[in-house]
Amino acid sequence: MEPIDIQQTPSTPLIKFDPVTSTLCIRGESYPENSFDFFEPVIAWLKAALTERTEILLDIAITYMNSSSTKCTFDIIDILEEAFERGVKASIIWRYDRENPRSYEMAEDFREEVTFPFEIEAIEV
Amino acid sequence: MDLYDLRNEFDKSGIMMCFNGPFSHSIIEETGKAMRNHLVAENIAQAAVLDVFAVYIELAQNVRNYITVRAISPLEAMSSIIAIARQGEKYAVSSGNMVLNSDGETLLTRVNEVNSMTPEEQKRQYRELLRRDTAPGALGAGLGFLEISKRTSEKLVCSLRRVDDTYSFFTLTASI
Repeated sequence: MEPIDIQQTPSTPLIKFDPVTSTLCIRGESYPENSFDFFEPVIAWLKAALTERTEILLDIAITYMNSSSTKCTFDIIDILEEAFERGVKASIIWRYDRENPRSYEMAEDFREEVTFPFEIEAIEV
Repeated sequence: MDLYDLRNEFDKSGIMMCFNGPFSHSIIEETGKAMRNHLVAENIAQAAVLDVFAVYIELAQNVRNYITVRAISPLEAMSSIIAIARQGEKYAVSSGNMVLNSDGETLLTRVNEVNSMTPEEQKRQYRELLRRDTAPGALGAGLGFLEISKRTSEKLVCSLRRVDDTYSFFTLTASI
């Protein structure tokens, strides 16, 4: 299966999978014209990848996301939770900027939704 | 065309930036970028810049999505406006657009509902909506007004003016 590799734009994040470390990296900001269209291939890819892989780390650093991207991120986290319940070693590192308390609050809210390891780390500048 | 009077109106309302016309995604993106640069230059905290930007994005994308979903005609779509004003220590972001008369009432009801909820109730509803499946073809998750409310210190302010038998003009303002 081809690893996903989406380039960053001002309104869409970089989304890249490293098959060696089994890490899905998301970086940047997310307020696409149509968030559901943008995230649809990511979600489809993730579902398929999780049928083959026994381990996955989501490494996420998003400065800003709009409400529909928040919904899509929730769906991604929900897919990881389902995979974890089937025995996949899922985990998240959520990186936030100390100057941006909203990102921390969002991470805390998401962490309450899951039972797998979910680390929240400040980005050291 | 003399824009002096229009400019004076902007000054009186504290409007720093304003866009009027049909929004495209690239206009939303570029106007947002200009607005952020402007706010950063005013030396306000990064968190506040992001809150103003977030409210702007939700409002602008709401208008654009509404026009798409309801297939509002290009003539009516022309009257879409987004403005960012400085009011004392606060920033006010407003959007205005033509809506079908019946939708106008629904929007007012929804804004009043969000305004009447406590922060805890808003948070609970936000979570419920996150868990809900998105309707096919939907452009948003129905979270917009809650997202805006989360980032504002005051109640949302809205108004509805009837234009003709089909349309009303809906304005929504959030202060940060």
